[in-house]
Amino acid sequence: MLATIAPFPPYTMPSPAEGMTTERAIVVAAQRGSDDAFSALVRIHQRRAYAIVRAIVLSHEDAEDAVQEGFLHAHRALDRFRPDQPFGAWLYRIMANAALDLVRRRKVRVAEELPESIPMPFRDPAESGELRQRLQEALTHLTARQRAVIVMHDVEGYTHGEIGRTLGIPEGTARSDLHHARAALRKLLQNLRSSS
Amino acid sequence: MTPDRWTSGDAELTSALRALYAAPADDGYWNALEARILAHVARGEVSLSWWSELAEMARPGLVAAAGLILAASMALAHSRQLEVTNAYASVISPAPSSIEPATRAASVGDGDAAVHFLISR
Repeated sequence: MLATIAPFPPYTMPSPAEGMTTERAIVVAAQRGSDDAFSALVRIHQRRAYAIVRAIVLSHEDAEDAVQEGFLHAHRALDRFRPDQPFGAWLYRIMANAALDLVRRRKVRVAEELPESIPMPFRDPAESGELRQRLQEALTHLTARQRAVIVMHDVEGYTHGEIGRTLGIPEGTARSDLHHARAALRKLLQNLRSSS
Repeated sequence: MTPDRWTSGDAELTSALRALYAAPADDGYWNALEARILAHVARGEVSLSWWSELAEMARPGLVAAAGLILAASMALAHSRQLEVTNAYASVISPAPSSIEPATRAASVGDGDAAVHFLISR
């Protein structure tokens, strides 16, 4: 069905009000079976979807797998989505679940290095290499949910309420997870920070 | 250091987190990912439809198999019932050879019937 996708015109960002209407129209078209509309939804949401799953999984490769799996779940469940609801919230919840599923499937958690093709603000190994390495290692000691909460809050700028809705947990739990995640990271990185 | 908020000392950690989780900035990467997502969805839907078709084909087969099992069970139960009936019949009904002398004896006379019956056994 989606194997032959016709080229879709480049997506231009509409105004917020216009955007809601436009997105609703795209969602309805996708629900009616338009492959072009679905690929437009992928184009609109893939970056944020990546950010959410990347917060949960440990590596860039796992994040790509989880995003692909999340969009597949979304495509299959599309006819059950009510267009009067915000599509993004629905999709990101699916993404978070796909990422959490992937984390559960991984028996051994090995954080892999990000490939060189991905731009990293830190390039000087002497400046940040050790911190990055230790941080990466420390993050493996957090639960997937704690990791998701701290990254979504501190890196992506989500509010506790948004994090709770995306991960399907109460806002208070998101707050508490953030507190515990920060405390754990502080403890794990204590030596490094005191020596620097 | 307060336990529930980042202090200025944590700014370094936050920026390290941001660096670690930085999403690729290159548009080419996102175009490629989009293509991979759509290909993955297409493959997933194809395999799903293959399974659905198989499931649809399997459904009448399962119904037929269930029917066969039911018919075989009924035939087995029926044959067992017949066996039981025959077994009872063979136990309850007297042997034909013993009836004949008894009835002949009756024609000889009521008084000798018992003697004839005992002799015939």
